[in-house]
Amino acid sequence: MSMQTDKRDFDTRTADGIGDAFMRGAVGSAQDSLKTRRLTAATSLGDWERWRELGQQIRQHTLENLDYYLEQMADNVERRGGHVYFARTKEEASGYIRDVVQSKQATKVVKSKSMVTEEIEMNQVLMKAGCEVIESDLGEYILQEDDWDPPSHIVAPALHKNREQIRDVFASKLSYKGDETPEHLAGFARKVLREKFLEAEIGITGCNFAVANMGAINLVTNEGNGDLTAALPKTHIAVMGMERIVPTLEEMEVLDNLLCRSAVGQKLTSYITVMGPREEGESDGPEEFHLVIVDNGRSEILAGEFWEALQCIRCGACLNVCPVYRHIGGHAYGSIYPGPIGAVITPLLGGYDEYKELPYASSLCGACTDVCPVKIPLHEQLILHRQNIVSQGRTGAIDRAQMKAAGKLLSSPRMFRSTLRLANPMTKFMSKHGRVVRGPAPLSGWIGVRDMPQPVKERDGFRTWYENRTKKEGGRLP
Amino acid sequence: MNPRTFHEGSSTDTEKRESFLNRVAESLKRPRRTEPVRRPDWKHTVHLDTLADRTPEQLVEILKEQCFFIHTQVIESTPALLQSTLDDLIDGYGGGPLIRSGDPRFTEYGLSFSGDFVWSEQAGRQENIRRAEAANIALVFADYTLAESGTVVLLSRPDQGRALHFLPAHYIAVIERKSIVPRSTQAMTDLNRRIESGEDIGSCINMISGPSNSADIEMQLVVGVHGPLRATYVLI
Amino acid sequence: MKVSIFSTCLVDLMFPDVGKAMVEVLERLGCETDFPASQVCCGQPTYNSGYLEESKQAMINMMRAFEHSDYVVGPSGSCIAMFHEYPHIFKGDPQWEMKAIALKEKSYEFTQFIVRVLGVSDVGARLEGSATYHRSCHMSRLLGETETPFLLLENVDGLQLEPLKNSDNCCGFGGTFSVKMPEISEQMVDEKSACIAETGAEYLISADMGCLMNIGGRMSRTGKPIKIMHIAEVLNHASPANIRPSAAKGGAFL
Repeated sequence: MSMQTDKRDFDTRTADGIGDAFMRGAVGSAQDSLKTRRLTAATSLGDWERWRELGQQIRQHTLENLDYYLEQMADNVERRGGHVYFARTKEEASGYIRDVVQSKQATKVVKSKSMVTEEIEMNQVLMKAGCEVIESDLGEYILQEDDWDPPSHIVAPALHKNREQIRDVFASKLSYKGDETPEHLAGFARKVLREKFLEAEIGITGCNFAVANMGAINLVTNEGNGDLTAALPKTHIAVMGMERIVPTLEEMEVLDNLLCRSAVGQKLTSYITVMGPREEGESDGPEEFHLVIVDNGRSEILAGEFWEALQCIRCGACLNVCPVYRHIGGHAYGSIYPGPIGAVITPLLGGYDEYKELPYASSLCGACTDVCPVKIPLHEQLILHRQNIVSQGRTGAIDRAQMKAAGKLLSSPRMFRSTLRLANPMTKFMSKHGRVVRGPAPLSGWIGVRDMPQPVKERDGFRTWYENRTKKEGGRLP
Repeated sequence: MNPRTFHEGSSTDTEKRESFLNRVAESLKRPRRTEPVRRPDWKHTVHLDTLADRTPEQLVEILKEQCFFIHTQVIESTPALLQSTLDDLIDGYGGGPLIRSGDPRFTEYGLSFSGDFVWSEQAGRQENIRRAEAANIALVFADYTLAESGTVVLLSRPDQGRALHFLPAHYIAVIERKSIVPRSTQAMTDLNRRIESGEDIGSCINMISGPSNSADIEMQLVVGVHGPLRATYVLI
Repeated sequence: MKVSIFSTCLVDLMFPDVGKAMVEVLERLGCETDFPASQVCCGQPTYNSGYLEESKQAMINMMRAFEHSDYVVGPSGSCIAMFHEYPHIFKGDPQWEMKAIALKEKSYEFTQFIVRVLGVSDVGARLEGSATYHRSCHMSRLLGETETPFLLLENVDGLQLEPLKNSDNCCGFGGTFSVKMPEISEQMVDEKSACIAETGAEYLISADMGCLMNIGGRMSRTGKPIKIMHIAEVLNHASPANIRPSAAKGGAFL
């Protein structure tokens, strides 16, 4: 899978999402329960706002010194006998991984959930090279078996599927004979995947945070699949976006706390692990450890006005509160990064040509900004995207003309006063019983589904009322 | 790319790394940072303050309460009763095969189990993994215990591998009361102090909070996915 | 206390009663009002669409219009939140940054002003019936005001407030969002309408006419009966016996 999950246009994808009643039910109830869980977990700390500020400060300090911490990390990984590869592009990253796999003459690869491996299209590259790649996260495994259906949430990738659909996938692809009870489905996957873990030659994981002064990576999971991926195969390849790094365990601890509470409302997830290459005397863990550090557009983000987006710790909390995501689902974003953070970073990584609608897929309600554990100003960044789209001349001619006219009107008291005078007579032919019933775009979108009051006559308007009473009282007109 | 370069830093690898890091510095609009960077004084100490004032007795209560939420049974025992508590528990889980770590505390507390397998360097990779996979029960001692999150922290060593915690169906961790700290902050601060003083703490730190679980199917919690299906802590 | 009225475009165009109610309540509470006639719009429609330069002209007009005001009070959490963004937008602008900060510091949403500046939480209003309150996103999140409407509504005689499910979810208005992405907006307002209908309340009250126009317009179109009231109208709803004009003489700062 590449970052782009659907080449159709935004409106088509959105219509698909809105029409998918099951998906919307699933997303809605997931949001409702995750929202409550997150809120409970956050408020139980007592001082959540300070936690967020601390998280933000840690992320910003690390980003401001990113070259230093990456170098320290690389030195420490090498000191411990591991290998570090700095990949400027996704092609370099997935090419390196393919070369490592081929140098081991390996064909069996097991991996744990990682967004950056999707971004670099690693699975396709490895499969093309003849490898069997098994996603071991239960949600990802379901999607893989369903002919690589794209993920729709960065934490719960199969959120859009119901148990019956999952049973059908397992039945048709894996000859599963059981029912649709989640315990039975998960138990079946456990058996199948246990075999895959034991026979895998290569384990590939993402990296929640690299711990620079240790030369180790931190994985945060509930299933334990990441740990088996890094314990059993003789070679472990960890892939990280270059910004996912902390100075020491002390900062990792703070961010892991923010991550677990924000993502799933847990104090800590079941398995939080800090790992590096196997050491002398230890019998499991990787004999060979590779860390692939991926830029793929991040250094440009770091240099520009969107740098705070790199603070993201991929908790998905902004998806869980987003009212737009709630109704259109993850697939409508057309990217492996959906929701508010996706609407910010997808256009940065993939460009406005493909993704210029995403920054508009928000009512700017600010729920995302409010919930972000590292205080990324998400809705402000969406406005910033819109400003760029405008300044690059990418909005339509009609939109531009309308907005220029609006700008003139809204800054001219004289023109506005005439508008107040003319609004009622001019909408007469469009109105019935005091309601506007027809009109040109963009108004038509509104009145197609809602009633809208007709503008009042000037003599009935607020300004006239205020002026008249001031006159009556002998007051002074300002 | 030549796969041989994986094993020895070639000049192209060094160049690549340098140009990558230079580009990062360029993005930050300043020269490369080569002098050690000091971490700033963080503006808040919420992580240090949370639960810091609790007594050891209160921490035990917090731990027990949290374990209820993470589907983990807590059994209170004593050093004197530990052997029989563990024997009962193992029986309750349907008996062996049992795999345990080679932690010296097994000897200190005079524990022995018939037919157990001890993870060891001598057994080698394949045998350790095979035995762990075949085991019904894993038995370990916690190095640190985090009250707030109900977490046992374990370090990998030649006598305590990684897969030991994940392959068996049931997981039993013995917790000494003195190992209990308020939360992850204290454990990570201590480990970082040990690392910075040059101590070798092993290749892997496992923080384990109950059995494995997943909510990937309709957000419904399923306990026991890839790792253990059940977890029990024995408190002494 | 001298208060400049910021009427907002929606009130100017379509909802004069909201403006009247606001003025009457403020005056009853002892405020002296004026209406700087050169005011137009806070600039939000163009700003949220990404047209920065166009928006700045509208914003500059507002800074000029209210330059000599002691307090600026408007019946919209969203428009006042836009004022509060001005310092951010004009940061580093030698001519306008200080003026932007000055406007931010004297601007209050209507209920906020009554409670936090006048120090009043009971305006002596009376409205018989049951109501539910829609908190606007911009008022609660961007302006950060989540308390004052509830404080005032709790003290409205005869009014029974019903809790609203998912009250923190956006109603789908979002200004230009509702015309740019009407299909998504429709889904959002439908869910909001359903939650409101579920309360069984007779009145839907809010402190933002944008949201009320959106929700009310949808509920009216889909035939769900509910009366829409801006909170200023509720607070101005009083039987003569209940009017206590001396309640806020002098005012208090919280």
